[in-house]
Amino acid sequence: MTLLPWRRKAEAPAPDASSFGELALPLLPGLYNFAAWLARDRGIAEDLVQEALFKGLRGFSTFEPGTNFKAWIFRILRNTFLTSQSGLHAMRTVSLDDEVREHTGALMPESAIDRRTPELDLLRLSDSEALERAMNKLAPPLLEVLLLADVEEMKYREIASLLGIPLGTVMSRLARARSFLRRELAPVKEWAREAGQ
Amino acid sequence: MSEHLAPLVMNALADGELSPDDLRTAKQHLEECLACSSAALDQCLLKSAVTRLGHRHQPSEAFTARMNSMLSSPDRKDRLTNANVPHARRNGLSKLATAAVLLLMVGAGALIAVLSLVHGNAASQHDALTAEVTDAHVAMLAVSQPQVLSSDRHTVKPWFQGKLPFSFNLPENLPSDVTLTGANLTYLDRQPVAQLIFTIGKHKASVFLRGTSPGNSPGFSATTNGFHVIEFNGHDLEGIAVSDVDSARLTELANLLRLAQTKP
Repeated sequence: MTLLPWRRKAEAPAPDASSFGELALPLLPGLYNFAAWLARDRGIAEDLVQEALFKGLRGFSTFEPGTNFKAWIFRILRNTFLTSQSGLHAMRTVSLDDEVREHTGALMPESAIDRRTPELDLLRLSDSEALERAMNKLAPPLLEVLLLADVEEMKYREIASLLGIPLGTVMSRLARARSFLRRELAPVKEWAREAGQ
Repeated sequence: MSEHLAPLVMNALADGELSPDDLRTAKQHLEECLACSSAALDQCLLKSAVTRLGHRHQPSEAFTARMNSMLSSPDRKDRLTNANVPHARRNGLSKLATAAVLLLMVGAGALIAVLSLVHGNAASQHDALTAEVTDAHVAMLAVSQPQVLSSDRHTVKPWFQGKLPFSFNLPENLPSDVTLTGANLTYLDRQPVAQLIFTIGKHKASVFLRGTSPGNSPGFSATTNGFHVIEFNGHDLEGIAVSDVDSARLTELANLLRLAQTKP
């Protein structure tokens, strides 16, 4: 029975260890970037990536050639993060709902779509420091979906498969993440409005 | 002018995830609605800003070189692979003993796998369903208005005609503090379902109704992140009620929905 996309039958020959590097090395910047965002520490990010690559290499015989290697190795990296000290700490520190409630005063943030002018949005979004602060406040389950969608440009279906969650959960987490960012950036917007007057 | 585009639609639009039909509908709406056009632009701006900033962490040259070396050197790969070889190969166990141990392990493993498949499949299906309906309920809470806004069951039920491959009944009488608020056409497990929205006191509740498919288990209940989930079955329909209201009140609503399906 086929459970995961990267386990689908493929007609390509069985993989050998020498091809692992060819597939993994081009993804190194993306893997490191993903790990650094989640761990929020460069040293830990390096350890996570190195460990994930070790695990990937050891388990490469289970990978079906011709299927989604990127999703496969990112899943290994994410699982490595989740079982690491920093991952356990990040997940234990604050639950997803608590985090949303803490910053919004409600279970769900305000509607994911608020009505603002593009000019003001451009101003606040050009403030990369504010955006980075906001992204760093995102709960890991929201941050990882946002990174996979916007930075790694994965499709919803790929993300759902990678994270092992339903498609609807991917969509709602993405909506929550973006709504949270908007709320966090709102003070910048107010500043921009005042500056414009 | 039609209703504003829902947040999930707006997100899917920015992510290029809308189906051709939904995209056409969204574009038509955007041509007429200045607020949604502005919101769509805002969505794209946010996405591109996250994309730009999201790439900010670059691996150091030293780390890149180390990984290159690790993955390019055949010796290291061999050593790494050998490190995973079971100790039994090195500590001198006889081939016969090794074979016997392996046989036992395979047998035990197969037995455990079969048992966990039987028990695990149902549990994981319930977990996935619970997560999906809870998310859909929370997403509904974030939207100011449902797709059909009415407390009249004679308005809500006909609204689904032609949209769902099944029909359902709504209870004629509800408890005094329970009201039908509206409904959405949504999707569970890629199947269209009716999401009926009720207000119970100060709480919102969603009841998802879908056609029963083979293999659906009899009712289950779960609690996740403060939300109670109650599944019920009746007359070729499966219902799933979700709310943060007291579970007894939610069960009462679920029973009313279940009983309503028995009526012609």
